[in-house]
Formats: sequence, C-alpha cells, structure tokens
Amino acid sequence: MPNALVSLVRTVHRLLLHLETFWLALLLVAMIGLACFQIGLRLLLDSGFLWLDPLLRYLVIWAGLFGALAATGRGKHICLDLVSYLLPARYQPLLRCGLHLFSAVVCGVLAWAAVLFVQSEMEFGGRTLLGLGSWVWNLAFPVAFGLISLRFLAAAMGEVTGFFTEEPGARSRPANGGTP
Amino acid sequence: MNLVKALTVVLALLGAPLFVVISALALLAFSGAGIDLSVVVIEMSRLADTPMLLSLPLFIFAGTLLSESGAPQRMLRLSRLLLGWLPGGLAVVALVVCAVFTAFTGASGVTIFALGGLLHPALVKDRYPEQFSLGLITTSGSLGLLFPPSLPLILYGVVAEARIDQLFLAGILPGLLMLALLGGYSMLRSPARREGRQTSSLSEIKAGLREALWELPLPLLILGGIYGGFLVVGEAAAVAACWVLVVEVFVYRDVPFSKLPAIMAQSMMLFGGILVVLAASMASTNYLIDQEVPVRLFETISQYISSKYTFLLVLNLFLLVVGCMLDIFSALVLVVPLILPIAQAYEVDLVHLGIIFLTNLQIGYCTPPVGLNLFLASYKFETPVTTLYRATLPFLLILLLTLGIITYFPALSLWLAG
Repeated sequence: MPNALVSLVRTVHRLLLHLETFWLALLLVAMIGLACFQIGLRLLLDSGFLWLDPLLRYLVIWAGLFGALAATGRGKHICLDLVSYLLPARYQPLLRCGLHLFSAVVCGVLAWAAVLFVQSEMEFGGRTLLGLGSWVWNLAFPVAFGLISLRFLAAAMGEVTGFFTEEPGARSRPANGGTP
Repeated sequence: MNLVKALTVVLALLGAPLFVVISALALLAFSGAGIDLSVVVIEMSRLADTPMLLSLPLFIFAGTLLSESGAPQRMLRLSRLLLGWLPGGLAVVALVVCAVFTAFTGASGVTIFALGGLLHPALVKDRYPEQFSLGLITTSGSLGLLFPPSLPLILYGVVAEARIDQLFLAGILPGLLMLALLGGYSMLRSPARREGRQTSSLSEIKAGLREALWELPLPLLILGGIYGGFLVVGEAAAVAACWVLVVEVFVYRDVPFSKLPAIMAQSMMLFGGILVVLAASMASTNYLIDQEVPVRLFETISQYISSKYTFLLVLNLFLLVVGCMLDIFSALVLVVPLILPIAQAYEVDLVHLGIIFLTNLQIGYCTPPVGLNLFLASYKFETPVTTLYRATLPFLLILLLTLGIITYFPALSLWLAG
C-alpha cells in the first residue's frame, strides 16, 4: 500500500478510537448525571419522571455493548485460556488469528440474529420510551455485534500483517478479566 | 452438531473470549432445536429489565477512579496512624486496607498492583519475614469480596435474583471473621519490636484524618443511603461515582481532567467484558433450563447425596476448583444458574449460598496451581510462583477454616440480613 494511504488509514483509525473513548465517557456521564438527577428530584421535590428508570436501563445496555466493542480492540475480553501456552511460540499468532476469525463469525451471526430481532420489534414492538419505537432502543445489539465482528476480523488480519496493531500483537493478546 | 460444539469448547480452552464461546453454544443449541436464532438476542435484551445492573458500571467506574488516584496511599497512611500501635500492626493494616480497597474495586488484581507495591517494602522494612509478607499480600488481593459494595456480590444478586441489600449485610460478619483470623495469625507472626511500640500523636492522627477527609464519608454515604431507605443500590452507586469523580478530580486533583475520558472508557470496557458474558449466559441458561438440565443434575446428585451438609461439602470442593480456573465474574455467571435450583432443592438459603460462593471463589484466587492472585503477585514481585505456593499456604489454611465456619454456620451470614 502507498505510504500516503497507510498514514491516512492510521489517522482515521486514531480518530475513530478517540471517538469511541468519548462516546463511552458520554454514556457513563449520562448514566451518572441522570441517576443523580432522579435522586435529587425524589429527595428534594418528591417527584420524578417515569421515563428516567427505563432510559437508565437502556443506557446500561448501550454502555456495556459499546464497552465490549472497545474491549475487543484491546484484547480485554474475559477468556479461559488454559492450554494455549502448550503451543510453541511460533504458532501463537496463527492460533490467535484462528480465534479471532472464529469470534468474528460468531459475532457476525449474533449481529444477524439481532437484525432479525430489531426487524420484528419494528413490526410488533410498538412505541415505548420517549415516544420512540422499542426497536430504536435495541439498535445497540446489531450495531455493536456487527462492529465487534469487524474488529475481530481486523485483529485477525492484523495478526497476519501486523498492520492494524500499533505494536505487534499488543491489541490481540487475550487478557484475563481486565487484569492490568 | 456435537462435533462443532466440542470444537467450540476446545477453542474456549485455547483462549477464545468466553462470551463468544457461550454465544456460539447457545446459537448452536437453538438452531439445533429448530428455534429462530433471534431468540438468543431476545434473551440478551432481557437484561434491560434488570434495574440492579445499573450499579455495576457505576461502581466499576468509582473503583477504577479510586485506584488511579492517591486514595490507596491516603488510606494506608491513615490506617497506619490508627492501627500501627497493635502488635502485628502493619500486617493488620495491610489486611484492613486491602479488604476495603478490594470491596470498592472488585477483585480484578488491582489491589495487588496498587497496594502491593506500597505494602511489600513496608512489611519487609518492619522485619516481617519475606515469605510471610508475600503470602499476606497475595492472599489480601482478593480479601474484602464479602464487604459492600463488592461487585461480585452485586453480580451474584443480579444472576440469582437475590436482594443485593441483604447480600451486602450478609457478607459483613463472615468478612470480619476472615479478617479477625488472618489478623490473629499475623499478630502471632509479627517480629519482635526493636524499639517499643509505634504510637502516633494526636496531631498526626488529626492530620491523617484531615488528609482523607473527603474519602472517609464514602462508605457511610453508600451504606447509610441504602439502609437509611434513601437510595436503592443503583442510586447509591450513582452517588458514589459522582462523589469520587468530584473528590478525586476537583478536590484532591489527583487525576487530571484530561485523563478522565480514558479512565471512563477503561471502566466501561471492564463493564462491557462482564456484560457480554452475562448477556450470552442469559441465552444459554434459558436453553439449559428449557432442557431441564438443573433438574436432571439434581436427580443424579440426589441419588448419591441425601444430606444438605454433604451437598455443601461437595459444593465447596467443586467451587474451589471453579474458583482457581475461572475468573470470578464468569464463574458467577456460568455456575450460579446451574447450582441455584439444586441448592434450593437442598433447602440452602439464597443469600447464604451467595456468601458460600464468593468465599470459595475468593479462596480459588490464591489456590495452587493456577489461582490468578499467585500469578499476579509472581509478576509484580518477580518471584517464582512456586515460592508463592509455599508463602500463601498458612493463609490458605486459615481461609479454608473460615470457609468451613461460613458453610456450616448459616447464622453467621443470615443474622444481620434478617
């Protein structure tokens, strides 16, 4: 690939990572803010909004799914990983590539299942929170699983080419439950 | 089909993400039964009906921010001023501080990294034997899981649909018993003092209290809010997150504002990792229950085990193995739905079962050969893991003794929870 294109792809990739960080921070701030707002309303004014509770619950799902997307890019998913050390170091990238491809396929199927779910919600779900159809609130499932699948695919490619990783293998190492 | 399932399990052992493995098994199971695949996601979306879930991301954020701030150092200084005069003072301080810190951060290894680096040199300097110091810190890395607002307690509540406020209360006495026994052992092993007892002057204690002034109200805020009837658990988590955010960023200024988005994203990644495992297990659990797996398991087990107490003994052995193989969050999500109906058939209380679960999983963290704490400590202190096996052994025996007491004296867990 020409150098200019490589650097453009890298810049866009970096921007997307920043965007992801701010999106996650925004979801978290919204959860903290809305929950505290709700407490304030109840304790001080003895009132509240009925839509706040379900909105918070959907925000939790969104934050979790997009958090999982971010975890995918950084090898922070919970894994068992009990026997991979038995494989010689030479074959480790190959193993990781295979695992990423497997994960990409499974998440792809999940995304497709989520699309089916959202379609049926569009048809039968009706309007719920804030006058929006219930399918809108469930959009996080197909979007997040679709992107997670793509990210696993990119990680599999990165394992082969070392292209998408800043340092070789750094983003694709399985970590144990977010352990530092 | 069975071949594909077996292959999926092999991939799990080779390090495929757990949520992918469980989802794959659920997808295979549903498609094998001729059920529409969208059911898997419908089951996942049911998580939106769980109000208690809100407390997880918020407590995770509060814990992450606390561990990034100067809170561990402040807590350590204050505890040394208050408890340093005791025989074995520093070891007791280490136990207490680690327990409080783990209660707030969950047991993701942060404790060993954040506090171990401070405590280990201090213990060695105070002439505690090297082996003892290493064992103490390795064991303390997961101590405090039973104290509120520990994340695994909340997750157990979510999965088992038990009341989290009761679980918080139920963990207190067993947790204190664990601390007392470990503290007692530490006092016995404390080195003879060189120059009398270390005492702190009133002005030093005042200064320490002033320094930690803004962090001290946090436990009161959470527990007072919940048990005073002002806040539900999710709201208490929001108040804690908001309080920690304001205190660490604007009052102490330990964490620069520019680092905040990255820390927030990091805590959401941690939460995301847990949420997808939970979501995937919603689908697989539903399938297992549909296929009456727990019922059949119970029928098989009840042929061999008739008494509740034998069942609890076998459960303990099983959970100890699970605890050293699986990380605590996935262990809870995967094992609780299977064990719960069986335990209830043996008339084990839901809340008591939760405390038994967490005690086992906590011990699993430091059980050879593969307990996670052993590897974290081995990495942190550049010590062979076999040295740590020996170092943790006395602590492990004490924890096992506590486990026995917790299992066979349900009142210890249930007295406060009513």
